[in-house]
Amino acid sequence: MSINNFLIAVIAVIVSPLLGGLLTGIDRKITARMQNRQGPPILQPFYDFFKLIGKQDIAVNQTQMVYVLGHLLFAIGALVMLVLQQDLLMIMFILAFSGISLIMGASSIRSPYSKIGAQREIMSMMAYEPVLLLMVVGVYKATGSFMISGIFEHEKPLLYSLPLVFLSFLFILTIKLRKSPFDFATSHHGHQELIKGLTIEFSGTQLALIELTDWIDLVLFMGLISLFFAQPIWVGILIALVCYFIEILIDNISARMTWQWMVKTTWVAGIGVALVNIVWMYLIP
Amino acid sequence: MDWYLLLAAILLPALSAALCFIIKNQKVRIAIVSISTLILFAVAYGFIVLLLRAPEGKLVYQFNESTLEVVSWIIKGLDLVLFSYIAYVGIKHKKAIVVVLCILQVIPWALFEVFGVFGKVFEPEDAFVIDHLSLIMIMLVSIIGPIITFFALGYMKEHEHHLKLTVSRQPRFFMILFVFLGAMNALVMTDNLSWMYFFWEITTLCSFLLISHDGTEIAIKNGLRALWINSVGGVAFIFAIILVNSSLGTLSIQAISESGMEGAFTGLLPIALGLLCIAGFTKSAQFPFQSWLLGAMVAPTPVSALLHSSTMVKAGVYLVVRISPAFSGTILGQLVAISGGFTFAIASAIAISQSNGKKVLAYSTIANLGLVICCAGIGTRTSIAAAILLMIFHAVSKGLLFLCVGTIEQGIGSRDIEDMQGLFKIMPFTTVITVIGMISMMLPPFGVLITKWMAIETAVDQPLVLLLIILGSALTVVFWGKWIGIILTMSYKPKFHIEKLTFSMEAALTTLIVFVMAASIGIVPLYNTLVKPQVVSFVMQDKGSLVGEGMGIWLRNMDKTVYGGFASIVFFIIVLLLMVAIPFFAHRLKPARLKPPYLCGDNASDDMRGLEFISPGDKIENVVVRNYYMQNVFGEDKLTTGANIIAGAIVLIILGVVIGL
Amino acid sequence: MGIISKSRKKSPWIMHYDCTSCNGCDIETLACLTPMYDAERLGIVNVGNPKHADILLVTGSANKRNSQVLKNIYNQMPDPKCVVAIGACACTGGIFRECYNVLGGIENVIPVDVYVPGCCAKPEAIIDGIVQAIGKLDEKAELMKNESK
Repeated sequence: MSINNFLIAVIAVIVSPLLGGLLTGIDRKITARMQNRQGPPILQPFYDFFKLIGKQDIAVNQTQMVYVLGHLLFAIGALVMLVLQQDLLMIMFILAFSGISLIMGASSIRSPYSKIGAQREIMSMMAYEPVLLLMVVGVYKATGSFMISGIFEHEKPLLYSLPLVFLSFLFILTIKLRKSPFDFATSHHGHQELIKGLTIEFSGTQLALIELTDWIDLVLFMGLISLFFAQPIWVGILIALVCYFIEILIDNISARMTWQWMVKTTWVAGIGVALVNIVWMYLIP
Repeated sequence: MDWYLLLAAILLPALSAALCFIIKNQKVRIAIVSISTLILFAVAYGFIVLLLRAPEGKLVYQFNESTLEVVSWIIKGLDLVLFSYIAYVGIKHKKAIVVVLCILQVIPWALFEVFGVFGKVFEPEDAFVIDHLSLIMIMLVSIIGPIITFFALGYMKEHEHHLKLTVSRQPRFFMILFVFLGAMNALVMTDNLSWMYFFWEITTLCSFLLISHDGTEIAIKNGLRALWINSVGGVAFIFAIILVNSSLGTLSIQAISESGMEGAFTGLLPIALGLLCIAGFTKSAQFPFQSWLLGAMVAPTPVSALLHSSTMVKAGVYLVVRISPAFSGTILGQLVAISGGFTFAIASAIAISQSNGKKVLAYSTIANLGLVICCAGIGTRTSIAAAILLMIFHAVSKGLLFLCVGTIEQGIGSRDIEDMQGLFKIMPFTTVITVIGMISMMLPPFGVLITKWMAIETAVDQPLVLLLIILGSALTVVFWGKWIGIILTMSYKPKFHIEKLTFSMEAALTTLIVFVMAASIGIVPLYNTLVKPQVVSFVMQDKGSLVGEGMGIWLRNMDKTVYGGFASIVFFIIVLLLMVAIPFFAHRLKPARLKPPYLCGDNASDDMRGLEFISPGDKIENVVVRNYYMQNVFGEDKLTTGANIIAGAIVLIILGVVIGL
Repeated sequence: MGIISKSRKKSPWIMHYDCTSCNGCDIETLACLTPMYDAERLGIVNVGNPKHADILLVTGSANKRNSQVLKNIYNQMPDPKCVVAIGACACTGGIFRECYNVLGGIENVIPVDVYVPGCCAKPEAIIDGIVQAIGKLDEKAELMKNESK
């Protein structure tokens, strides 16, 4: 790794949580405005984060921290690979590890809520994983390379050749960001019904690290969206922000659905739509 | 030196088998197994050294004409004995289909080999050829095999104790295991298709004998099923031999593999290749032939580990990979890939619905073998490299996992996943090893995932295959994730329980886990020294290449531009170490900070584990959470019939296509 | 400690437990979260689980059955934590004080930091109670630090 790459990686690791936290803060503000409330300050996620750091560390068993760190470190790994323009498929697999790590942590705890949350999270993974992989395949068919650097070398924006893949990617983004109607594993709202599901038994520093990972994931996914319009990249970033706004909108106007419904819809509609796009990519000589 | 090694690899296990059977003393048996283990390790090592020094990348054992004839007739004689025994088994257990299939094999075999009705039999003079692929198989057989046999020493003692046997049947058990090891070594070394057939049949018979070892009604029933389904493969095999002999004019396996580029994919050869693939499918328990492998799980666990996951079933995929250059890029290759991919996806789906640990492992084995066959069918150098690497990683990891489940079963008296809640408390040593084994089956940086990644990146030109692999890998994550979650469940313990295992079991588990990690960390050297020379030596069209550099792997196009890869595996390993090391050293949890899990405040006692809560009627109830199994979607009874029909159709299409070509 | 102490004041997560309230105080408590009062502008989030909560809001008087639950919930909260008793019943037992099964105010079960009187307490008063509790969090954090030493 050259010194230049190293610097880029370090900057990304430092900047992305800040960016992610800020975006989350904006999300909360916009959500509040949509509900006709004043809402918390933009910096609220950071207040929450530091407060959690200052809390007493409590736990149910002594292995929890291992999984939380796995969740965080692999997300950072994926982010570093993204900014260094590495293999897109490998990034997806590493993200999967990050997700699985949290699931292992949640189900390692003898709590019915956290176990049910973990089961639901596995189900959502099963739903979105194929779409992510299909997206990677679509990118390969469009650019002839699995490397992200290949996307930047490609003249035509990906969005022109992969509109439907993009749509289904947005669809699973709702699952991945745990927005309604798919926020049944753990939710940003509705603390009462789910009792935070997946993350119920993580508190203090551990919960703070999970929040941190969520921010990094958010930036990572924004980055993936902007890849669809990589020339010039600022258009891509703009599109990513618009998509984020749409996600917030969907979050606010939909009710929570069951996981059965999610798996069915994602496998039929999500995979189906992405497949249609990929089929025509194959038919274009 | 060369010849000694060859003889040691084949005849030493046979000798150990005889000794085990004759001398019934337990202590002597331990000595025999230990010594054979060490010698087999030495044999594997000897072959590695020899092959890496060999100038053309292969070791050739040439027989002169007279020896060849003698050995050939010996094998024919033994073949006849084998057929008679199988027929005897069929008659004894009144299983007509076994007898019928046996006769279907004997008649063409006798007409071809003994009476020469189909023309002259061209036995190759290079009777044994060892190249890198054979070497890898030898390593799997001669390293993992003895380790599992060694494990069986401790396991079988406990097993027989459990069954309350008065007369130990261990001599018979270990005899068959050793016969199997010898036959397997010979199978992967020989270059003569008809000899390979003989060893192939021996492994089939060993499989039957070991599955029915316990002698219960269900064991014999499942053993017979394994026997007849594998006999179907045997029938396909013997017809393939006849066709190969008349179309290529030789029985050399190397010649078959090289025939692809010479435009020989016409006439009778495609039919022969198709039949060989079907033989491979039966041996590797691909859909629709999978049922025997599931039934085979009644056998003692070392048998499942050795025969039904890490070595014997690999014989099928070995054959397919071996001949894959001959059909690379043809319609047959595509169909084989689809068939393998289908098995991968559907077996992974059914695995989700299983709560029996061994069944999950069985389905996962079927799925991974499917992926190997799929990679072989895709037919690029990269995909074949992926297939070979997957064979290695899968053999090590799955052998380990079967042993773990066996150990767990003896520890807690159940193989049901749901009963493994809180296993960490009872068996911490086994649990940690099991979890690492499971993670090595599905997550980076372990080898199985890397091969999956390679498979997807190289399958991009075949959309249907690609979709199947993608669905399969998503489903794989689900059933492993669920299982890992269950066995990791634990509450706070001030002190970890120390687990007591017999030496042989502990040694076997430790060695295998070291191999699992070493193979994954050393994937690049492993690829460069063992796999790459093999795929390069395959005669086939070049469509890009796979390069191992430093600690990373890169996929290159025809014009050498990189289109995929990762820079360093060390990175992942550091991350993995960090996630364990930080909590261990820097974040020690004090007992004072422990809280019981939240049960709506209705925890029944001050118990930290939170196992009980007070229900509305002021009754104390247990907290029970079960995994989702989704029986109504992925249930065995829901999917098997449909899957068998589709897979059967694919097999028929393969047959139809090769005959029509 | 500057930034953590500041954040603590800006992000009090509350957990609401109803002992034997007539639901009057509960309704007023939840009214704090509605757009009208919008407690989230102060960073107040109503979490459903003691493991994440900083402040426990209790309504209604303690009785023999729920005192166990109340204790459990309180014990499962990580330090620093505060308890706010909302309404006359939670403060003193209210009109149920003399009932055969009632133990009185919740102070008989867990230590209370802030009392919000009223029957029922007004949302403004409840928010004010929470803010008062926030002020106490820092003290508690000091205490926690000394204890761990």
